[in-house]
Formats: sequence, structure tokens, C-alpha cells
Amino acid sequence: MSEKSKETGVLGQLFKTFFAKHWPVWVGGIVLGTLNILLFAIKSPWGASGGINNFGENVYRLIGIFGLENSTHLNASFYGMLCLFLVIGSFIGALLSKEFAFRIPPKGELIKGFIGGGLMALGATFGIGCTIGAFFSGMPAMSGGAVIFTIGLFLGVIVALKYLMWEMEKFPGFSSGKSFTFLAGTGKSGIWQKWAGWIALIITLIIAYQYSGGNKIMTWFIIIGMLMGLISQRSRFCIVKAFRDPFMTGEADGSVGVMAGLLVGLFGFTIIKYFGIGVGDVALRTREMTWVFPHFFFRAAIGGFIFGLGMTIAGGCAVGTLWRVGEGQVKLWASALGFLIISPISKLFIVPPIVAAIPQSWDFKNYLPDYLGYSGAFALIVLIILIWYVFVKWNEKTGKFSAY
Amino acid sequence: METKVDQTLDCKGLSCPMPMMKLAKAVKGLKSGEVLEMLGTDPGTKSDLPRWCNKTGNTLLDESELPGGISRFLIQKK
Repeated sequence: MSEKSKETGVLGQLFKTFFAKHWPVWVGGIVLGTLNILLFAIKSPWGASGGINNFGENVYRLIGIFGLENSTHLNASFYGMLCLFLVIGSFIGALLSKEFAFRIPPKGELIKGFIGGGLMALGATFGIGCTIGAFFSGMPAMSGGAVIFTIGLFLGVIVALKYLMWEMEKFPGFSSGKSFTFLAGTGKSGIWQKWAGWIALIITLIIAYQYSGGNKIMTWFIIIGMLMGLISQRSRFCIVKAFRDPFMTGEADGSVGVMAGLLVGLFGFTIIKYFGIGVGDVALRTREMTWVFPHFFFRAAIGGFIFGLGMTIAGGCAVGTLWRVGEGQVKLWASALGFLIISPISKLFIVPPIVAAIPQSWDFKNYLPDYLGYSGAFALIVLIILIWYVFVKWNEKTGKFSAY
Repeated sequence: METKVDQTLDCKGLSCPMPMMKLAKAVKGLKSGEVLEMLGTDPGTKSDLPRWCNKTGNTLLDESELPGGISRFLIQKK
């Protein structure tokens, strides 16, 4: 063993640091939080459901239904491209660590993936955002709606977890049966995965470079999207896990990783908003209100709850679905498909009549610093994270709220 | 020496959280000292399972890679 490690050169060691083992989730959280700040600095923060909705609109545009011929083409949509390259980044990460394989689950799991994806689409379109836009970015953006969305998520996750446990007891056959795995990279024969990973990385950089003449922001969205996918795959950064595991196995690592990312994001977002960094031609107020959506409180509460149900049944939130797609987990392909098919339908036909029926005072943009000042709002978000931290750590020790 | 396996749990093709849920349930049903063999293909299990064993006090006796991208774990109940 020691002889073998002597043979590995400096660059080989560096490669192993990134791709031999999974990273601690908190490392992933901190890096993702930092990349989120960079996205905000050059344009606006991270979001995932908008990009998946763009995928769906493009599918319907190509089919020629729902009158979406004016929808943004994928190659011109910042968030569509961010999501696409997040999938490719995870694909690269999985290949370089020889973890890529097509993993086809039993039929029941595919059905759950599709339904979970559809529910996420309903939750995201009604709640205006997903676990990224209305939580991982929304909380650092100091949006009151994001706090409500988060509470909705929690409740949705708890209800759906109860369902999964019930299903496993009563209908264990639903998640068992024939499964298939193709193109796995284990052993010496998997070396092709590393080569394929390098090739995919080079192609990504060439595509990003192609945009650098006329659309520099897109260049960076492509590169940051790719890095976000790679980092999520290596650290297994998963927001469902963060909400669910304390109630399942009692594990707190996933939650702490997400908290680390929230806290880093909170610092960066506060500075950008407070000083109006990157304000350009728009009013300072517009910069301040970035990622503060008109969903306080009703749409955030209901949307968060439905999204929480969906992501738990699917086993991945919007971004967790995308990076697992890149890794070859076919259950999450079903989830992504459900999401992109249902999202435009919900946005066009389901959400508008409901929104028209609810009073406007139920859904407005709530920017916490308007009520508490910058210091008060900052302190409130830190306090929420701290309470969550104490809860998951205490629960990890005592197992009071965990099922197993 | 090959360890005696008391029960095998097939989680091939399953994604998070199903492997860990099934594992926790299966271990619950074992007697102390019995060994569970778990087969899975979700890369996440490779980090989730050792952490869970650490936390619950069950012993991860062995972890190996089988052909076809399958991870095999042997867990002994506390």
C-alpha cells in the first residue's frame, strides 16, 4: 500500500483528494454557498426550478402545443443552461471517480420518481421557487417568504416520510423487483470513465468559451453550473437529506452541510444587497429585492408543503434530482421528466386560476430588513439556523425524533 | 475465513433513501450478533452506511466491490 502511494505523483495525489472519496457535506455546502454568491455578484442567485421549467417549455415548443413559441430557447436561458451544465458537471464528477452507471430501479420506484417530480413542479410553480430559489438562496436573501416556504417544506417532508415508511411495511414489493445496472466503472475495465470524464470537461470549457464573445454572463453560468454539479455529486449535497434524515436515521451531517452553505450565502448576499454591489442600471431597491418573491405567506406555505412531499417521494429535490440524473440514477430521470412535463402545465393552467381567487394581501414580497433592519434580519436568519443546528445535533444524540 | 451470512438484503437499483430505510428495518429484525449482507448500487450508501453503523453501534465487518458496480456490505448487529 505504502509503495503504491509513493508512486503517485503530486498531481495524482491532488486528483485523489477530489475523486477517490466523497467529500464531507459541509465542504460541499461552503463551496456551493460561495458559488451562489458569485452568481449573485454577476447576475442573480442560484435557482433550479426555473431552469427545469425552461426545459419543459422547450419540449412543448418543439411539439408545438400550449402556444409557447415565444418561450426562451434553452441556449439563451441562463437558468436553463445552469441546470443543464449542473447535470453535465455531475456526470463529469461521477466519471472521474468511476461512480457513473445506468442504475435502473424496480418499476414502483420509477412511478414514485415521476409522481414526486410532478409534485415538485406543482409546489415550485405555486410556491414560486424550490429548495434552491426559495430556500438555499431565499433564506440568505432575507426573504420572509423563504422562511415560510421552509416551514412548509419541513411539514411536507415529515408527511411523505411517514408515507414511505408505511409503504415499506405494507407494500414492500413496490420498491423491490427486477433492477438493472449498465456501464458501471468498477475494477480495471472502468478506466474508460476517467477518459470520458476529461473529454466531457474539455467540451464543457469549449462551449463556455464559445459564449465569451457576446454573452460573458452565460460563460460564467456554464462554468459555475458545471462546478455546482461536480461538487454536489462529490459531496452528495442533498437538501431532502438535510430535512429528512433527522427524522429517519437521526443523521445530522447532511443538515449541517446545508447550514454551512446557508451561512456563507447569508454573509455574501447581505454584503451585495447592503452595498448594492452589481447594481448596474437598475435601482438599488431592485437589487435589494432580488430573490424576494411575492409569496408571503400563502403561496410559500402551500408550495413548500407540496414541494416537500414531492422531493421526499422522488428522493431528490430540484438540484438533487439533477445531479443524480448526471450520475445515471434512472429513478431521478423519471423525477426530472415528471418535473419538466408538469411544470409548464401547472404554470399555465393550474396556478393562475387559484392565484386569482386568493386575496393579494395573502401574497406579497416580504423583505425582512424592511421590518427588522439589516442587523435584525441577519440575526433572525442566523438564529433560525442555530436553532435548527441545536435540534439536529440533540436529536442525533438522543434519537427522540428519529424513526430508526 | 468467509463470514456466515444470516440474511441478504438486495437494494440494487434503488436510490436514496430506500437502501438506508430497508437496511435499518432489516437490522431491526435481526438477533444480536447476526450478520446481514447488503447489496446496493447507490454510491451514496458508501458514505451513509459506515456513518450509520458508527452511530448505531452495529459493526461494519466488510465492504467490497463486486463486478457490475455492486457494493457489498456485511453488517453485524450489536
